Amino acid sequence: MTLILGILEEGLIYAVMALGVYITYKILDFPDLSVDSTFPLGAAFTASAILAGVSPVLTLFLSFLAGAVAGCVTGLIHVKLKVRDLLSGIIVMTGLYSLNLRIADGRANLPIFTKETIFENQFLASRLSSSLSPYTIVVILLIITLLCKVLLDLYLNTRSGYLLRAVGDNEALVTSLAKDKGMVKIVGLAIANGFAALAGSIYCQHKGFFEISVGTGTIVIGLASVIIGIQLLTPENGASFLSHFTKKEIRPTTAVIIGSILYKACISFAISMGMEANDLKLITSILFLIILVVSTERRKKVKLHA
Amino acid sequence: MKKNLKICFLTAMTAFLLSGCSGQQAPSESPSDGQSYTIGIGQFAAHGSLDNCREGFLLGLAQEGLVEGENLTVLYENAQADGGIASQIITNFASQKVDLICGIATPMAQTAYGVGKKQNIPVIYTAVTDPVAAELAGSDGVPVGEITGTSDKLPVIQQLQMIRTLLPDAKTIGILFTTSEVNSLSTIEEYKASASEYGFEIVDMGISTTADVPLAADALLEKVDCITNLTDNTVVASLPVILDKAAKKNIPVFGSEIEQVKIGCLAAMGLDYVDLGKQTGKMAAAVLKGEKKASEMNFQIIEEAAFYGNTKVAKDLGITIPEELISSAKELFTED
Repeated sequence: MTLILGILEEGLIYAVMALGVYITYKILDFPDLSVDSTFPLGAAFTASAILAGVSPVLTLFLSFLAGAVAGCVTGLIHVKLKVRDLLSGIIVMTGLYSLNLRIADGRANLPIFTKETIFENQFLASRLSSSLSPYTIVVILLIITLLCKVLLDLYLNTRSGYLLRAVGDNEALVTSLAKDKGMVKIVGLAIANGFAALAGSIYCQHKGFFEISVGTGTIVIGLASVIIGIQLLTPENGASFLSHFTKKEIRPTTAVIIGSILYKACISFAISMGMEANDLKLITSILFLIILVVSTERRKKVKLHA
Repeated sequence: MKKNLKICFLTAMTAFLLSGCSGQQAPSESPSDGQSYTIGIGQFAAHGSLDNCREGFLLGLAQEGLVEGENLTVLYENAQADGGIASQIITNFASQKVDLICGIATPMAQTAYGVGKKQNIPVIYTAVTDPVAAELAGSDGVPVGEITGTSDKLPVIQQLQMIRTLLPDAKTIGILFTTSEVNSLSTIEEYKASASEYGFEIVDMGISTTADVPLAADALLEKVDCITNLTDNTVVASLPVILDKAAKKNIPVFGSEIEQVKIGCLAAMGLDYVDLGKQTGKMAAAVLKGEKKASEMNFQIIEEAAFYGNTKVAKDLGITIPEELISSAKELFTED
């Protein structure tokens, strides 16, 4: 049970970040590496804000904003300064590393064990009996993650959301609608990195400390979650696996969240099998490859049948 | 074909999940009736000193009658300096209902504490340089919860004394450190606070990655009479580069533990990490046997430091190590 709860906790935290990667990678078709630094940005900001006495819930919003600003910078570098997408992400990622250390008071490790967080506070302690305590964290995470998902779904159905999706699919269309595609990209990157920083903020409050190394490989986790979720569960490329069991379609955002939990389950399984951390990255990349190959094969076949 | 592939995949995924769940039951079946115990050791990175800590930890437990394979099951995982993996490793230990978690190095200790306090699993740490700054103990040394252990705080005063003995005319000591390592920052503060007592001035230079080491070393060597090392992971990993550059300028480099002297530092007043681990193992044994709670023991520091010297390097630099240091040495290296 502890293991399942642990997987759900980890999976749900990273799912928020994966929703952001879904926007950049899947919708905008923009390989955005800046999440590797906006995730720790959220964590660093949260640790120092909570130490300064800011309310834990408020830090969630502020972290989102901080991430969004960083995302705007990536967007501006790409759109206005005409730097290639991959490079603009790398530039922001590198620069933010130093900035994150500055935000965390020049320290690479900032604990907040003694402070109140969204998971541990007097409000929760007074309202809930201790028998429920193992489940409260998962419930809180579930609420936050679902809230993010619903808001993102709603946003994608607004005019601005449609434009966002159009930019990824067909830039010319957006231009023909007399809209600035660069602006749309910047908005998309801002939201995506906002989600990454929000996830970092939740991560920091969950673990009780900020550590500069938490960001390493965030993008890999995000991509893995998106790819696993989307390729396995959504009907984007013909029928999905799930369509064997149910006729109902799954929204891509839901798929991403499930993908994140599945990914963490795989890692947890690999660890409990006694696999070394050294080998985990290799396993992740093989898992990536298999899913990508299987799904491209499927797409080809769909085309042949068409 | 398409359908088969999909079903295959789905089955594989489900199998992954299910076996992940069933895996948790195995160790909890072992009797925890006070006779045998299961512990999880989470090590943050693979690194000579940390490996020595782990080895010493198991020796310390064995001295207290808890022998791995007999009445002690040890689960060991290494996070390879990845924070995300570290937290999954600890969650995994918790799900296997271990009786105690040992966290080696600061981030691992903090992760273990974060998980352990929710699951009521005591945590013992080692190789945490500053448990107070890491909020694992209050400023009086009293643990913040069911967590205690040992600190690998460097014997700064003894090191300064030793450098003064070996280099009577030196004025400046250079220290290279990684800006992202908290332990280095607090040790440098300590060096700066005591340096003037011994007539030294500290020149510190921060780097952020391994790639910065050669340039930073060149710049630092221009300004100092000698260099002393901390236990800074990034710098220690690039030590051969620094030693090579320093040797060309005939500037002595001091280490902070045995491994560094072995590869070419002139000398060190250092900790023995195996001893540190042993001390930690004894604390863990007390907690496991129920003699003391983790929260009842303050964290411990190894007080005595031992002298390690490299006579080959001393000869190359034209420095004679005084007889009293030679005779007190815990270990002397005579060749590279």
